[in-house]
Amino acid sequence: RRGLGAAAGPPSTRQLREAEEAAPVFQYAGKAAKRKDRVFVWGFSYSGALGVPSFVKPDAGWKKPRRIQGTPYRLETEEKISSAACGYGFTLLASNTRDITKVWGTGLNKDSQLGFQRSRRDQTKGYEYVLEPSPIPLPLEKPQQTRVLQVSCGRAHSLVLTDSEGVFTMGNNSYGQCGRKVVEDEIYSGSHLIHQLKEFDSQVVQVVCGQDHSLFRTKKGSVYACGWGADGQTGLGHYNITSVPTKLHGDIAGVNIIQVSSYGDCCLAVSDEGDVFGWGNSEYLQLASVTETTQVNVPRHLPFKIGKVKEAACGGTGNAVLTEEGNVFVWGYGILGKGPNLIETAVPEMIPPSLFGCSDFSPNVRVARVRCGLSQFAALTNRGELFVWGKNLRGCLGTGRMEDQYFPWRVTVPGEVVDVACGVDHMVSLVRSFT
Amino acid sequence: LNAAPVRAPRQRVRFLPAPAPGGGGAVELVAARVPVLADHPLGKGTAGPFPLPGPGETGTGSITVSVAVRGPRFKKLKIGAGHRLDVKASGVFVLGVGHGNKLLTDLYNCHLTKVYIVGGLFGKATDDFSDTGNLVEKTTFDHITREKLERILAVIQGTNQKALLMYSNIDMKTQEAYELAVKGLIRPMGKCPPIITAVRCLHFALPEFQLEIHCLHETQQYLRKMVHEMGLELKSSAVCTQVRRIRDGVFTVDDALPRTQWNLQSIQEAIQNCQLKVETELEKTLG
Repeated sequence: RRGLGAAAGPPSTRQLREAEEAAPVFQYAGKAAKRKDRVFVWGFSYSGALGVPSFVKPDAGWKKPRRIQGTPYRLETEEKISSAACGYGFTLLASNTRDITKVWGTGLNKDSQLGFQRSRRDQTKGYEYVLEPSPIPLPLEKPQQTRVLQVSCGRAHSLVLTDSEGVFTMGNNSYGQCGRKVVEDEIYSGSHLIHQLKEFDSQVVQVVCGQDHSLFRTKKGSVYACGWGADGQTGLGHYNITSVPTKLHGDIAGVNIIQVSSYGDCCLAVSDEGDVFGWGNSEYLQLASVTETTQVNVPRHLPFKIGKVKEAACGGTGNAVLTEEGNVFVWGYGILGKGPNLIETAVPEMIPPSLFGCSDFSPNVRVARVRCGLSQFAALTNRGELFVWGKNLRGCLGTGRMEDQYFPWRVTVPGEVVDVACGVDHMVSLVRSFT
Repeated sequence: LNAAPVRAPRQRVRFLPAPAPGGGGAVELVAARVPVLADHPLGKGTAGPFPLPGPGETGTGSITVSVAVRGPRFKKLKIGAGHRLDVKASGVFVLGVGHGNKLLTDLYNCHLTKVYIVGGLFGKATDDFSDTGNLVEKTTFDHITREKLERILAVIQGTNQKALLMYSNIDMKTQEAYELAVKGLIRPMGKCPPIITAVRCLHFALPEFQLEIHCLHETQQYLRKMVHEMGLELKSSAVCTQVRRIRDGVFTVDDALPRTQWNLQSIQEAIQNCQLKVETELEKTLG
């Protein structure tokens, strides 16, 4: 039974229009709505490198330990992270803030590569595994003025680059990779020692960690190295250990180097004119274009005719370069990204741009960055998409599958990927939300 | 159709028993072209004068002349419909006539993309995602820019590309999968959920916008839902005002006949024009 006040039939068009105009308008985006910066991690979690403690030690009854995080998982951080680096089982996150805490570390800490993390149970000992991003105390002179520009991680050591206080090194120094004299029988676990390096010809603008060596690139375009040299990766003309950062010569003497890269035992450098120089391990044909020897201990120019090179990335057995036109070239050994038939090549081969989303429909897609992990590659396009390929060690590719990927495959990240850091079995990406 | 001149009967090759040249009762098979009995003027019925068959023209001995069937040759036509187009949408709608219905199934199995022009309006959300539904909510939309929309479109395309590769059921570890991926020819050949292969923003003038969407296995309501979800992603809301199909496989708007041209002459011309395109496409995809 309808009441006396209700209408007789369905509302007329005029009534609908009036009701619509009278409806309240909701606002979901505030005036100062900015795109948020987020960190996504994926890969092997039991080392603590992902920074999510509930994966290793579940904090609720229904949660189960998660050995592998196959797809990107959001990591909550207190500050906006501007630089991230993945080592062999550990991660460093750095923010360029002026606050006291600028660098956080998580993962393996058996060689104090994350500094001294005081254990709560025993105040004299440190944690060997850090499960959550924990602040790393740096011995800064002006902690409220210095900014951390970049971090880099190797097998068991880490480097932190600041804008005015040089480079801080921590972790294993058995090969001099921390830039200080090797101490016999030094115990690295639970060590408080963080070394500071300041003696370079000009300000250091990039630090790179290889497996057991360190490379420093200065503003003047020269490269310094220290650490293990048995494969010639220090590029200093010998195969011995170097414990003090020493300048490299060879083919890069006098050349303005704008980028250096290394992750295993091979190193690549790019000059401002677009030439590529390499030194170190060449057992996997990384430098076979200039020499048959398997170890090269002096930087050699690699005469590739692929155009002007913008960026280079070195992996354990394979290398990749990015040219000015936005094409990716790969060479070396392993899963290089051109199908299962290409296992090794000494000469760079181009990966077809159509695999990165470039087609007749969207012809403006270009690759903007390349990164290498130990046996995987990552490429970022100018549209903010992340493509990965290579060996899928413990789910480090982030595709959600456990199989190796023989050609570039998109990783679905809820945001625009700004940077990515590749490790041995995990990856960290810095992402900006869409709106 | 019934007034049009009748086609000549189709010929086919049959092997007929005929007395062997050696004689003596042996019978050998001889190939001969004979008209198909189904098209025989004495068969289904023709209007007008018809020729009587000669003694050697049929394959089963002589035929007795019987009373011919009279009446219109065509009483009803079998017309099949291609991909569905719902009431609120418009655009290219493919129909098959008579023997063309078999081609329709073949075209469906080709899994070719369809192209739609989808128009949307920011600021409103309705219960059936289109602008004629009941209003659910109104929101602000001044913060939306073309750049934000294009970012969302890029991500939609990316995730759908991934779905395309995953549902195509090819083993990713083979060289052939790599080669198809390079050429962009990987596409699902079986059942799969709706996939959008490409999106592009054609027109953007707040609160209206227009998109060109290339998709597979979709329904128009799915496209409207997509518009609604885009609105949500941009922290506002959107409704779909227009869905217009401009291409369905090989058939485009140029081939389509508008309401004023629904007569025999235009239909026959249209069929003839499209025949070659359809044949080449079927051969290319189905082999």
